[in-house]
Amino acid sequence: MTAPHQAMPAKPTEVQHLDLPVGGMTCAACSAAVQKALTRQAGVADASVNLVLRSASVVFDPSVVTPERLVDAIRQTGYDAHLPLAGATAADEQQARDEETTREFRDLRLKAIVSAAAGVVAMVLSMPLMAGLDHGAHAETAVDPFMRWTMEQLTPILRRLLPALYEVDPRGISYALLVVTTVVVAWAGRHFYRRAWSAFRHHAANMNTLVAVGTGTAFLYSVAATLAPGFFLRHGVAPDVYYEAVIIIIALVLTGNMLEARARRQTSAALGKLIDLQPRTARVISENGEETEVLVEEVRSGDVVVVRPGERLPVDGSVVSGHSAVDESMLTGESLPVEKGPGDRVIGGTVNRMGAFRYRATTLGADSVLAHIVTLVRQAQSSRAPIQHLADRVSGIFVPVVMSMAIATFVVWFVSSEGGASVRAMAAAISVLIIACPCAMGLAVPTAVMVATGRAAELGLLIKGGEALQRAGEVTTVVLDKTGTVTEGRPVVTDLVLRPGASRDASEVLRLVASLESSSEHPLAEAVVRHAREQSVALRPVERFEAIAGRGAKGLVEGTEVLVGNDAFMADAGIDIAAVLPVAGELAAAGKTTMIAAVGGEALAVIAVADPLKPTAREAVERLTRLGVTVALVTGDNEWTARAIARQAGIDDVVAGVLPDGKVDEVRRRQKAGEVVAMVGDGINDAPALAQADIGMAVGTGTDIAVEAADVTLMRGDPGSVADAIALSRRTLRSMRQNLFWAFIYNVVGIPIAAGVLYPSHGILLSPILASAAMAFSSVSVVTNSLRLRRARLR
Amino acid sequence: MTALDWAVVAAGVAAIAWVNWYFFVAGDRS
Repeated sequence: MTAPHQAMPAKPTEVQHLDLPVGGMTCAACSAAVQKALTRQAGVADASVNLVLRSASVVFDPSVVTPERLVDAIRQTGYDAHLPLAGATAADEQQARDEETTREFRDLRLKAIVSAAAGVVAMVLSMPLMAGLDHGAHAETAVDPFMRWTMEQLTPILRRLLPALYEVDPRGISYALLVVTTVVVAWAGRHFYRRAWSAFRHHAANMNTLVAVGTGTAFLYSVAATLAPGFFLRHGVAPDVYYEAVIIIIALVLTGNMLEARARRQTSAALGKLIDLQPRTARVISENGEETEVLVEEVRSGDVVVVRPGERLPVDGSVVSGHSAVDESMLTGESLPVEKGPGDRVIGGTVNRMGAFRYRATTLGADSVLAHIVTLVRQAQSSRAPIQHLADRVSGIFVPVVMSMAIATFVVWFVSSEGGASVRAMAAAISVLIIACPCAMGLAVPTAVMVATGRAAELGLLIKGGEALQRAGEVTTVVLDKTGTVTEGRPVVTDLVLRPGASRDASEVLRLVASLESSSEHPLAEAVVRHAREQSVALRPVERFEAIAGRGAKGLVEGTEVLVGNDAFMADAGIDIAAVLPVAGELAAAGKTTMIAAVGGEALAVIAVADPLKPTAREAVERLTRLGVTVALVTGDNEWTARAIARQAGIDDVVAGVLPDGKVDEVRRRQKAGEVVAMVGDGINDAPALAQADIGMAVGTGTDIAVEAADVTLMRGDPGSVADAIALSRRTLRSMRQNLFWAFIYNVVGIPIAAGVLYPSHGILLSPILASAAMAFSSVSVVTNSLRLRRARLR
Repeated sequence: MTALDWAVVAAGVAAIAWVNWYFFVAGDRS
């Protein structure tokens, strides 16, 4: 520290943290520009901008800079920002953001559809204008052999189909096109120009810059050719117009943006669903002992809350009185509801399955377990690398280079031509700019994404956007959740083992036990009854049924006393279980849940219930291994069960007994080791890990929240789809690279021809019209290449 | 080459230099 600082110690400044919603960002360059503008502000200690969440997280010193100033700084970059609403809850804020994303998606969709329709009309209208080249008026300039050939082929067809079009005065058509294009440029394409200008002010060039420069020059040139054709003709240059190219470029780029907005909308919906898990109200016991319904925000720590069967728990707490089974699958992933009695901890957002009970509220609001999970998902989404568009990165370099080439072309033509030098030079320079227009580049990735996601849907895979598709192919490790992903996710009876020398046979025991259990609502009892029905066992009526929570059930069936439950339950009833204990121990060691069945005071059998492996799980693991991917099993379940399932599935790498944070840590640990991790899960408890992973894959039969937090949804619930997703993604990635190659090769070959390098030797010059046709050809090859994905072999 | 040609060459070179300076150099500096 320097002397002046020592002499006058700085007062420790209070830093504040603020999350600002930011609108209008479409690409990595956008979020980078906003971030740069924020970090440049005096008093800002740190700023990170999230493209997916559309928010900027700023750490700042309020004595130096105000939140209003930060909003202004963002607005100056050309993006929209506003202060978070005062007093708004997380749910309100999330809803506001969701609405904004939906509005943006609808806006882009409308603009894309209208522009595409206008583009088709403009193309048809332009044909007679292009045909004019072939018929004398400016034949002296038609040094473009390809153009001449194309028009010779197309004109007769269009003349037959739309003869009236050729009767109209070409100038009239030009003016009509001018009006249509002006509307499209000013309405649908306005944001490209605004954002290109913002990027330009920040010394940056991106996709918007290419679109704006390409369409802008073509539009202005066309306007000049429409308003003053004589000037062009006097200088020996055809007054060609490129309106249709302008409209189509705008329509295609808008379509790409619309697809991105749709993907973003699905991502943010996951957070909204999580927040919705918490009930809005709670029934609290007031001082006079009456139940009062209050807003969940009004519940105080220490209040006693009542929950009835089937209701969600409003807040976290500990049970005061009553027994029940609570479905905590959102937290633990355990498919079986957990027995709760006095003193047990319960969690807000979980579902009470059986009895009513009372509990004392403990942690509330931001400290609650649910709020913690919401924060985890949000953080995981924020920490994810922003979407990196190759086209955007390339255009940062490409745009200045193309501009330089266009200027050089102008200079060379100006100096070397005789007569009409300035107009010829201008036409050549514009050809360079038009052929460099990013039409195919804009299509290269979105078309591959569209075709691949369509193909994926046929395979039972829902993939959210290009980023997810791209990342899935780079996966090196797949982390599988156990319950519901590798296993069926619901308990089934796997064994019914009679003790040696039992007085009744297995079907008799099953009939008696299932009859008794048909009166119970316990999930294990449901498994037994389902098993009996599958075996076509006829159930008998039960008398004097009694269920003891957490222990078992008893009653009279066919006049005999039947008991089903754990060893403690049997001990209480004075039943000797020594003969069945060894079997029960073996089954438990294999990771199964066991129940002892006693009939007429005699322990007769052990019934084992387990969550069985999905039939396709083993093959799925084998396919993943063949793809060179490491497979790991991570679960909230105990070590025994986890190991047993992993053995059956052929997985060696097992991590058991982890909570949602543990799953996130596990994913993070592997990411730090340089792995690209795909997390596959089905429960709400998996949502944070799904968001943290490079690729989150949700089993579609699971909860909506997991599905929406994930990048990929396996609709068939088949773990084999994970291998399909990775294989399809790798194939798509190859197509994207080929597409980008095709998009660029036209530029690489086309730009020098447009600049006129072949003119001195062969007299060939690329007219701006052919430049836009070449652009269309490059688009066609890109689309065709993408369509090949529909038939790609994946197995 | 006329004086106008020379002027266009000079303007062109200056424009190319400016474009590259603006996007590649000035952006990094600020």
